[in-house]
Amino acid sequence: MPGARDIAYGRGVPDDPRARILTAAAEWIGRRGIARTTIDDVARRAGVGRATVYRYFPGGREQLLSEVITREVARFFGRLEREVEGSPDFATLLERGLLFAHRTVADHELLQKVVETEPERLLPHLSASAPLVLAVLRDYLTPLLAREGARLRRGIDAESAASWLARMVLSFIIDGGRWDLDDPVAVRALVRDQLLAGIFEHA
Amino acid sequence: MDNLPDADRRSIEHRVIDASLSLIARHGVARMSVADVAREARCGRATVYRAFPGGKAQVLEAVGRREVTRLCALVAGRLDAAATLEDALVAAVTESARFFADHRALRFVLAHEPGVVLPYLGFGRVDRVYRAAAALTGPHLARLVGADQAPWAVEWVARLVVSYLLTPDEGVDLTDEADARRLVATYLAPALTPAALAAPPADARLSSTRSSVPSLTGAEYVHEQ
Repeated sequence: MPGARDIAYGRGVPDDPRARILTAAAEWIGRRGIARTTIDDVARRAGVGRATVYRYFPGGREQLLSEVITREVARFFGRLEREVEGSPDFATLLERGLLFAHRTVADHELLQKVVETEPERLLPHLSASAPLVLAVLRDYLTPLLAREGARLRRGIDAESAASWLARMVLSFIIDGGRWDLDDPVAVRALVRDQLLAGIFEHA
Repeated sequence: MDNLPDADRRSIEHRVIDASLSLIARHGVARMSVADVAREARCGRATVYRAFPGGKAQVLEAVGRREVTRLCALVAGRLDAAATLEDALVAAVTESARFFADHRALRFVLAHEPGVVLPYLGFGRVDRVYRAAAALTGPHLARLVGADQAPWAVEWVARLVVSYLLTPDEGVDLTDEADARRLVATYLAPALTPAALAAPPADARLSSTRSSVPSLTGAEYVHEQ
């Protein structure tokens, strides 16, 4: 049985009809886009009847879309966590995270396609998930910062600092702006000289 | 329309934009028609179409462009009056937050038609907003942080205010100077000290030598003095 973490990271029981429907929806959206993905398309592709889809997703298309997105976001952060696990220090963890996140978003064909063609249908859902994403990031980073003890600047509160970092990490995942997030040297400077400048005592 | 002096043409554009904002604040973007805008602006539909041949889409683009320009002009004024870098950053943050809080059209759209504005603040496009802000307000920060570093400093402020605009936090009110100063002093200012900026990274994109401002949609901004 999947535990809470598995569910949070989108790892359901294999052959679970709910998961099959979500997967079918994601695949159809990848091929036809959001506007042209109907409940019938999804039901057919998942090998279930319309009624079954509505049983699992009584909110219809919008709920289905919302949950496809939520699942993709959860999977992304699951992979992000695995990527940064075992980092030797906090700064390196953030560097690895930003490099990986940027690369993953840039290489995510479905995301890039929908952003290009139907951003107005995708972004409201992503924006709605942002508070949860920020909370997950903050809760992940807080104990890691608290562990740093005297390496933190005087007066820094781990949770507040984690909140700030969560916002800036999400901001950089969305767009690197002036920073070249493909360049490990640039990311290292961004993290050590700017993101953490107010949080860590200077080495 | 072609033989109108610039001042008159600009004033019709502003009237149309103001009328559009008034309509959007009440009923949103979807329900706004060129006919509605003409009525609200007290001019003929033909006048609106002469000023905006692209119709509603072009009007909306002009609305977005002007409001970003207007916000940046307000921020620039506050930057000019600031005594220290920290004061300048705090002023930029609070001015922006207040602009957003008081902006009825923006509030309506964010609440009821988020798909209209979120693309411009999302993947691949928010960078244009950062660049426009840097071009319009950076020069007003240069005396406090250096001309090379000013655009980077502006982008930090822009990231902060956009983040709180799209995902508010009950415990943080950026219209309040104390809240803004706490964030700026703790996290932003240390990142912008001379030491941190001694070797700014190379700009990810080719630096522009144009004097015009990057636009939100690809069309050129007019940088109004």
